[in-house]
Amino acid sequence: MNNEKKSFGAALGRAWSQYSFIFVLVIIMIGYAITIQANGNTFNFGHIASILSSQNTVIVGTIALGMAFVIITGQIDLSVGSSLVLTTGVTIVVFNVTNSILLMILAALVTGILCGAINGMLVGFGKMPPFVVTLGTMLIYRSLTLSVVRKVDPAISGSSSSQFAMLSKNSKYLFLRKTFGAGKLVIGKFSVPYIFFVFLLMAILFIVISRNTKYGKAIYAVGSNEKSARLAGINVTWVKISVFILTGLCVGVASILQACKISNVTPASSGVSYEMYAIASVVLAGVSMAGGKGKLIGVIFGALSYTTINFIIVSIPGLSVDIQDTFQGLVLIIVILIQTVGPVIKENIQRARKRRHAASAENA
Amino acid sequence: MTILEMKHVSKAFGGSQALSDIQFEVEEGEIHALLGENGAGKSTLMNILTGVIPADSGTIRFLGKDYPTPTIQQMEAAGIAFVHQELNVINDLSVADNIFLCRELTNKIGLLRQKEQVARARQLFEDLGVDIDPTAMVSELKTSEKQLLEICRALYVDAKLLILDEPTTALSNNEIDHLFKILRKLKTQGKSFIFISHKMPEIFAIADRYTVLRNGKYISSGNIKDTNAHEVTALMVDRQYADEDVYVSRPLGEPILELRKYSGRGFHDIDLSVRRGEIVAFTGLAGCGASELMQTMFGALPAEGGQMLVNGRSLTGSIVRFMKNGVAMLAANRKENSVVPDMSIMENFYLAEHELSRAKHPFISMKEESVRYERQKESLRIKAGSSDDSILSLSGGNQQKVFLARWLNIGADVLLFDNPTQGVDVGAKEEIYRLILDFAESGKTVIINTLEIPEIQKVADRCVVFYEGQIVKIFEHSQVNEHDVMLYSTNAIKSEEAAS
Repeated sequence: MNNEKKSFGAALGRAWSQYSFIFVLVIIMIGYAITIQANGNTFNFGHIASILSSQNTVIVGTIALGMAFVIITGQIDLSVGSSLVLTTGVTIVVFNVTNSILLMILAALVTGILCGAINGMLVGFGKMPPFVVTLGTMLIYRSLTLSVVRKVDPAISGSSSSQFAMLSKNSKYLFLRKTFGAGKLVIGKFSVPYIFFVFLLMAILFIVISRNTKYGKAIYAVGSNEKSARLAGINVTWVKISVFILTGLCVGVASILQACKISNVTPASSGVSYEMYAIASVVLAGVSMAGGKGKLIGVIFGALSYTTINFIIVSIPGLSVDIQDTFQGLVLIIVILIQTVGPVIKENIQRARKRRHAASAENA
Repeated sequence: MTILEMKHVSKAFGGSQALSDIQFEVEEGEIHALLGENGAGKSTLMNILTGVIPADSGTIRFLGKDYPTPTIQQMEAAGIAFVHQELNVINDLSVADNIFLCRELTNKIGLLRQKEQVARARQLFEDLGVDIDPTAMVSELKTSEKQLLEICRALYVDAKLLILDEPTTALSNNEIDHLFKILRKLKTQGKSFIFISHKMPEIFAIADRYTVLRNGKYISSGNIKDTNAHEVTALMVDRQYADEDVYVSRPLGEPILELRKYSGRGFHDIDLSVRRGEIVAFTGLAGCGASELMQTMFGALPAEGGQMLVNGRSLTGSIVRFMKNGVAMLAANRKENSVVPDMSIMENFYLAEHELSRAKHPFISMKEESVRYERQKESLRIKAGSSDDSILSLSGGNQQKVFLARWLNIGADVLLFDNPTQGVDVGAKEEIYRLILDFAESGKTVIINTLEIPEIQKVADRCVVFYEGQIVKIFEHSQVNEHDVMLYSTNAIKSEEAAS
């Protein structure tokens, strides 16, 4: 009996350490259902659909995929929020001028990758710490966009105020905004927004890279022990650069979603703190900030958890949106606390048990 | 006058007896050389003396006072200072700050009296004839100056007995002369030194007396002027060493690897030709350049001159370039340089091969990897459970076999093993020797870098001895014996030639 209990506890402990992100999401979802019910409404699939289509899920989530790779190699990218603004600006301008979906996608990906490549080269070839490099580009990318937006002809920027907006008179506008950006795939009673599928596809791509490719294993190896990785023949510099480029690709995809879902981007206020939200999603996904460890599938759960926390706070009457970040911060700290303190408590219990055993053996 | 007296000192770690019944004495105003091979017990004895670890039994008497349970603080206060091989100075502080670290001169409200610190440091340096600017940052000092700084630091607190652990390893000949001049001056002022070194010429240049330890036992002590390098070496080396002989001679193939005037960090102008199926051992003291040479031969360090030819092709560039040409290196310090701690046994195994196959086959085929892993597991007799277990779940010997498998998996035929039996238990060591001989039998070329001479006798066809970055002697298998190899690696030969 005792034995059985112990093995179940051990299995649960293992599941927690490997798949903590699922538990976190389930707990937060239950919390959300409770607040909805307390408001006198029934929790239904509509609530979940709105979580799935929230910009916090799809846009931050897509960026978080690349961020996860960067963090697994033991680095950090603070510039993603700013490069999202820059990339979305370019994306919208290209659409406004060309009215071409293909060119728009191309512009988004190329600009995103370029932003990432600049970070990567400065870190990889310049041998500078990623924190400082991306702090610098974070300031640069946003301020460049900000300084350009005021000078661009409204016919191109799509807005007379300080933002870039999709031109509604373009013939492809309706398709992008209504059919794709706000559209949903309806299966019976369930409906899932199309943009969530984009995030999902990206997530699958990144999961496959991390699990099934030789390049993916190199990413983990570099983060786990850079010296060993190098002496096994891995080109550490290139791996470090490449994860920034992949993050740039994610930012490119995210900027298409931003353009289609939100239809505009305001350099002064859009994407602010997205780097922090992306890092938070990665941490909630159970990826170690020290590098070398973590599952990419967790990022889907991490992003959903993060969005759900927002929804809970919004749905509590009388609670200001201003307090949102406080709750997000608290949840983040609590989850990490459980992850780091858990093993320590476990060890103490085991040590106490050993002492007891030793004492009883002596008595006998 | 005898200032230090250690008697009947014993110490066991777990089951192995590190020291048994050691006696050790140091006189006032002498430089006493403490001699012995790696693992003879020198460090353990010094750690007991300085209170780092407690002895199991024995007595320590210093300046007429007994220390039954010495602590680090007690021994420091008593006047014993340990100048470690890896220098304990703080690079980001100034020279004066380092001298006064933890004993800063302060005014009433706790602020530093920096001018006074600098003035006193300058006075100290002048007294000793040391030319260091007290206001300089330590990071700007040369290694030799850091060494002197640490000695000065010990003298500032009026240490009577200084332990110098291989103080000359990183110094040039001029710097060594300068250091010795200062040591001689301090000696006349009544300071005593315990001088730990493997370099015979230095010992005979500076030491007054010596004590030899071997396998944790006291062997003998005496006056340096009554002995010579040959005699001391014979005392250090255990002639009793005999073990089953696994070595078999093989027919060797054509030359496969050639070094021509090969130079790099820590070694220069190396000329060597190695034949297919040959096992060559590199040896020498720590810092002799053999490990650096090996790393350069794998592209892990840059070559600075000359050529390395494998199968007639000159190799330079990145590690992958060397791997593509069939060169593999099992790095020293397994934990630091080979283990990827967050990965499974399988992942640790296939990592290197992926770098060669990635361009053509970017995806991992678990079926194929399993076949490859099982093949190596069987032939190397790796004792492991599931290949999905963490690499850290294996013993040192089995981890090392996984890394051997990593390199056999790329089909390498020039295998460089840097200290392959480090941290491996005795049984696994024997197995690794057998494997090395098997590799050679199957036509692979093996170079091993090791400090253990019995290891060389077991496997090597030839033994290349390095001293200060150059080859000083090449022995054939039958000529290899501990005594002669030791003579050449400590450069005792040269000092005797100079003397005669």
